[in-house]
Amino acid sequence: MSKMDTALREFLLLEEQAEEEKFINRVHPLSKLLVTVLYILLVVSFDKYDLAGLLGMVLYPLVLFIVFDISFVKCVRRTAVILPLLLFVGIWNPFFDRTPLLLWGTISISGGTLSFLTLLIKGIFTILAGYLLIATASIGKICAALRMLHVPQVMVTTVLFIYRYIAVLLREADCMTKAYALRAPKQKGVHCKVWGSLAGRLLLRSMDRAGEVYESMCLRGFDGSRRGACFAGVNAGKFAGRDFLWLFFFGSGIALLRIYPIFEMAGRFVIK
Amino acid sequence: MSHIHISVSDVSFGYEKGKPVLNHFSFEAGETESIGIIGSNGAGKSTLLKLMVGLHTDFSGSIRIEDMPVEKSMLMRIRERIGYVFQDADSQLFMTTVGEDVAFAPRNYGFSEEEVARRVKKALEETGISHLKDKQIYRLSGGEKKLVSIATVLSMTPDILLLDEPSVTLDPKNRRNLIRILNEFSHLKLIATHDLDMVLDTCKRCILICGGEIIKDGRTEEILTDRKLLEENGLELPLRYQVDCKS
Repeated sequence: MSKMDTALREFLLLEEQAEEEKFINRVHPLSKLLVTVLYILLVVSFDKYDLAGLLGMVLYPLVLFIVFDISFVKCVRRTAVILPLLLFVGIWNPFFDRTPLLLWGTISISGGTLSFLTLLIKGIFTILAGYLLIATASIGKICAALRMLHVPQVMVTTVLFIYRYIAVLLREADCMTKAYALRAPKQKGVHCKVWGSLAGRLLLRSMDRAGEVYESMCLRGFDGSRRGACFAGVNAGKFAGRDFLWLFFFGSGIALLRIYPIFEMAGRFVIK
Repeated sequence: MSHIHISVSDVSFGYEKGKPVLNHFSFEAGETESIGIIGSNGAGKSTLLKLMVGLHTDFSGSIRIEDMPVEKSMLMRIRERIGYVFQDADSQLFMTTVGEDVAFAPRNYGFSEEEVARRVKKALEETGISHLKDKQIYRLSGGEKKLVSIATVLSMTPDILLLDEPSVTLDPKNRRNLIRILNEFSHLKLIATHDLDMVLDTCKRCILICGGEIIKDGRTEEILTDRKLLEENGLELPLRYQVDCKS
């Protein structure tokens, strides 16, 4: 299976996972969206040296992974591609900020190293939260939830179409790379000489296809603006007691984790 | 039963200036007719269908769907009444599951969830794919995708059905199923296709086009048995007549 094929397959499997009949999938997307947004905001609100406090925030994704039986391995496989980007963003911190802040035995840990680790962990946590949201609610439902929050229609439509465009782009790229590989069996990957023409052709093909998908949507009543109860053919459903409970339980739990650094407190308790 | 009919009057259209794909094209279609649009590649069949649903509105001449001219202000009303099945099913299907895709149109047109469920059930039953309701779109075969494409428009309960190469990618069994579905659809349908045998099975009237012009408009049997006419316009006799000739 080619890399492109694998990427497309993973993308479609993620959509399939979002449609599963688990309890977490049935929770209202608005509830999950609000908790996710709150979690991300609180995670990024930690000070750049507050590693101990930040680590407590791991409990939210951990609980979801364990209690609702969401595959952590799949999550790592699907999100690992972003890790180099996170590393690249923070890698320079240890060089610029060399002030010693911690002593671990005889090893001195500089402020730069600490802020690098904090940045890395913040990135990982926010990605995990985003992943958990899209793995348990389809993009249509998330868009419907965004509309319930009165996010402008044009922004929501753009989000939806960008998401849909990923699948279209991957599918076209898969076709093209397969066609290339079949006519260049001795080559490993795509030769740099044809990168330009292949990328241009891919853009044109995927735009054509995206245009047809859009036409198909329009021909079936989609105009991106009306019939507020339904967005992109998906109704977010009614907000029930279960959804309030979810919002309250996880919302307050995350807030408590932000206020109380539980790992630090547990450490102090053990030392006592 | 609706009384919708299509009136295409002196329509000319081209994607590039000076290269018309349709040239002074005129015909009328009655409310319960079945019309096969046939012609070689590039004859203008798909373009004609696209003009009828307003995917291109910059044509000269006029197209009317009953009393409604095909122009931007009328498109929502027109599209509510026309079901258009794309040549490539992958362009038509974009939701995650079959059920969701079939429900897309009725939901967008604001029907209640009960009505949406009823329409989805009926459309899936009519196309014989009820068992696929919860299946992921990307797990479908080419033939299944085509049938789902048809179900997605049947759920709109259209007054007119436009089909662009509907039998492409279908195996013989699914092709027979498609012919059954089309024959059960009692309203106006226009089928643009190269599958002349299917036209014989589904359409009483046939329009032969070449170079964007109508070469002949008449009874299907009459046109599809005229070997000279078909060959002059880049087509061949339907397979069943070719076999008859050999035997």
